[in-house]
Amino acid sequence: MGDGLARILSKPEFKPENFVNRLSLGGEEDLEDMRHKVQRLSEETAVALKKNVYKNYSQFIETAREISILEGEMYQLSHMLTDQKGIMNTLMELSLTGDNVEDAEEVEEEVVEEDTLKSLAFLLEKVEGCSSVTEVPDRHLVHNGDLVEMDPETFLQLQKVHAFLLNDSLMIATWLPYRRGPVKYRFQTLYELDSLAVVNVRDVGNCKNAFKILMFPDTRMFQAENPKAKRQWLDILEESKKKKSALDKQRKQAAAAAIQEQRVSTSSFDDSNPFAEEEEPEPARPSSVTLETELLHVEWLQETPEDLDVAIAQRDFEGAVDLIEKVNEYLQNYPRVLPVREYRARIDHRIKQLTEVLMQELQSSPERSIRGGPRAARRAVAQLIRLGKSPQACDLFLKNHSAMIKYNIRQLKIEGATTLYIRRLCEVFFSSITETGQEFMKAFPEHFACFSAFVVWAREELQAFVKTFGTQVFQSKTRFSTIAECVYEARHSCHLLSDIGLELLFALDRMMEKDVARLIQQTGDHQVEAVKHRAAEDLWRPVNFQNADSLKAFEDEMNELGLTDIHSYTYDKVFTALTTNTIQFTKAYMIFCEDMLKVHCSSHHHMITSAFVDILTAQMKHIEKSVVSEHFKKEHKFVVQNAQFLVESVLPLVDRKYTAVSGHKLPETGDLCESFKRIQSLAKVTLGEFV
Amino acid sequence: MFSCLNLRRRLRGGRQGSSSASWDAMSKPKTQAPAVIHKVIMVGSGGVGKSALTLQFMYDEFVEDYEPTKADSYRKKVQLDAEEVQIDILDTAGQEDYAAIRDNYFRCGEGFLCVFSITEQESFQSTSEFREQILRVKNDENIPFLLVGNKMDLEERRQVTVEEAQARAQEWNVSYVETSAKTRANVDKVFYDLMREIRAQKVAAAKPDNDKKGKKKKSGRKCVIL
Repeated sequence: MGDGLARILSKPEFKPENFVNRLSLGGEEDLEDMRHKVQRLSEETAVALKKNVYKNYSQFIETAREISILEGEMYQLSHMLTDQKGIMNTLMELSLTGDNVEDAEEVEEEVVEEDTLKSLAFLLEKVEGCSSVTEVPDRHLVHNGDLVEMDPETFLQLQKVHAFLLNDSLMIATWLPYRRGPVKYRFQTLYELDSLAVVNVRDVGNCKNAFKILMFPDTRMFQAENPKAKRQWLDILEESKKKKSALDKQRKQAAAAAIQEQRVSTSSFDDSNPFAEEEEPEPARPSSVTLETELLHVEWLQETPEDLDVAIAQRDFEGAVDLIEKVNEYLQNYPRVLPVREYRARIDHRIKQLTEVLMQELQSSPERSIRGGPRAARRAVAQLIRLGKSPQACDLFLKNHSAMIKYNIRQLKIEGATTLYIRRLCEVFFSSITETGQEFMKAFPEHFACFSAFVVWAREELQAFVKTFGTQVFQSKTRFSTIAECVYEARHSCHLLSDIGLELLFALDRMMEKDVARLIQQTGDHQVEAVKHRAAEDLWRPVNFQNADSLKAFEDEMNELGLTDIHSYTYDKVFTALTTNTIQFTKAYMIFCEDMLKVHCSSHHHMITSAFVDILTAQMKHIEKSVVSEHFKKEHKFVVQNAQFLVESVLPLVDRKYTAVSGHKLPETGDLCESFKRIQSLAKVTLGEFV
Repeated sequence: MFSCLNLRRRLRGGRQGSSSASWDAMSKPKTQAPAVIHKVIMVGSGGVGKSALTLQFMYDEFVEDYEPTKADSYRKKVQLDAEEVQIDILDTAGQEDYAAIRDNYFRCGEGFLCVFSITEQESFQSTSEFREQILRVKNDENIPFLLVGNKMDLEERRQVTVEEAQARAQEWNVSYVETSAKTRANVDKVFYDLMREIRAQKVAAAKPDNDKKGKKKKSGRKCVIL
């Protein structure tokens, strides 16, 4: 029945209204019945679902993983798309100017000047096929508006056009029949203002607000929307023409002056210089002008700006830089006369563009996957260096790596023992630094100035590392052994950086100095406290291990600590001549020494040394006291044995270890030996009294 | 990568666009056969009364105030010997400095009224410059052309004699007419005379056997239609 219900409910054409309708017809009992059925079904389903989950558990996990990977990829993809969009946008803005065109009617001259860059971008965005128009440097938009083109003969309206008045030419664009995105118009033609004849057409009949453009062989007639618009067009056209001609005149005069000058210096100079007009005001070498102009007419050179655009769009950065280098090399040998300068400006603009894209490439943003990794960065860096932007490249490169390290560290899960985490942390951090260093050397070969930046960066990263390390290690209430282990791990890893020629150990020590010093002091004090504490309870009894096995275990333990002559302090198969106090002290002291030596560095040398000596001295003092004490007169031999163990077995062992790490003998061991001798003599004295 | 293709196309588009533009201009639809239009161009130095003549002809009014013209175009339906035609007058700027721009004006004219002021010798002298330029641009010795001496009402300030002017007209093989924009004397005459000349020229050009003139005609603005 449940199956039947499930089938009904899962039918594709299942209609809840009908179903409920039919149900409600049956009355209360049926309803109750149905309720049970539904309940049973839901239970069954839940069970089935659970079963299925178990059955397909591994598949679920796999799927989940796949999904997360896919998600990551989607992120990356979306990021790439955003990038692409950005590139397209920046391309659109290439060499162009001011977007205040929408209300061009109110555009003030200065405003146009101000953001010339944007308005030509607007052109490129709205008009299809006008890139060649927008590539002329210094060209900017003065005025634009909708016009209706008319037949100059019949005065019939032909089509809607949009006219753009640039500072040196008039561009006519037709409306696109099918709009594609922001592109509204199609470039039709461009008239130089030089010889453009503008004719005001007096209103006649239906033909109102029109004006003509005469430019052989074309006669174009346009109708403005209203008299004001037409007036504006005529005025602005007139003004622009005047400005242009004034400018041209200036140039010509300057050129003439230049030629004059040239004539004075070289009388043999050719009279009719065909390029006189193109000359720039400064007294350039007219003889080279011919050369310059021809120079710029090389086909590949003319294509280069466009090729650069394409290369940047395709993210073919190497290609782009190749091109730029080629151009630079080519232009290098030529004086910067006007045509070359103009060309240069076009190239420079693209270099800027490229640099920006490359920098963006290196920028690390949170949503950006770092999986792209160092190889991608190296590529961008290499190109930036070729463009002569090594400082920026260096900066971005290091920032990128910082982000990478941060990310990697964040990937580490803090679970389990601190030591384990710290070990992994050190592994990740220092190997990242090493990797960065290697990468850096590959990316910035011969750029020695950048290496100091790397060192500074490494130090900063180390600082951050120590901060993380500190919170995990110093601020937690872990045992000193653990802390010492961690510090040792960090110092050891840090030392490995010298593989890439980076010595940061001193910096690490400096950064951890305060914490470590505090810990050494604290732990040393604890030990001394413990000695006193144990001393108060010392009964001077040999330890009975009950059986040989336990004694063997004890011997092994001591052997492990490095006390190889322990057997000379055991007797009768189950006894040792050492007290519980001595054994405990020895164990604690040995561990303490081991730990201390792990954190040993020159700045803590003295603290560690004095801690070593102080603790042992405290213990010896306790023994001395015991010898003098009335309570333990019978135990003198036993006490001396314990003292002997400390001075002749433990002390040399500690000294050996100390020397191995610090390179120095443990000082003040003499005092301890003195103390031992004192104990011996005291014991003899007291023994003698007995005798 | 599709974006790159588009991009390149767009980048290259600029160059192709400009070449196709002239095609657009040529293949413009000729919707209906327009009434005959005679295109007259007023030339002459500044202040000789070109606009005054035009306005008098167009609107029967005389404007006393002088304001330099930039370039105005007028059109009017007129009855030319029982035939309805349109006259298109381009009133040019006497002050136009740029020969290249003047060329563009002249190219679209079918007949010229070359105006000078009889009260100003200089304006008479410069008529030869205008004539020269027109001939150069139109490349036609027989282009309809009238030499017009304006301001004949100001007889007392005359600097250019009738003989002098007529001699020049003869030399150029054109007619000389004296007018007054103020009194409207001969205003209609110069325009109608010129239109008749233009009409005659057009008729001659239409005759296929008149090879020479036809060619010349074609060198004029009609070549656009080719």
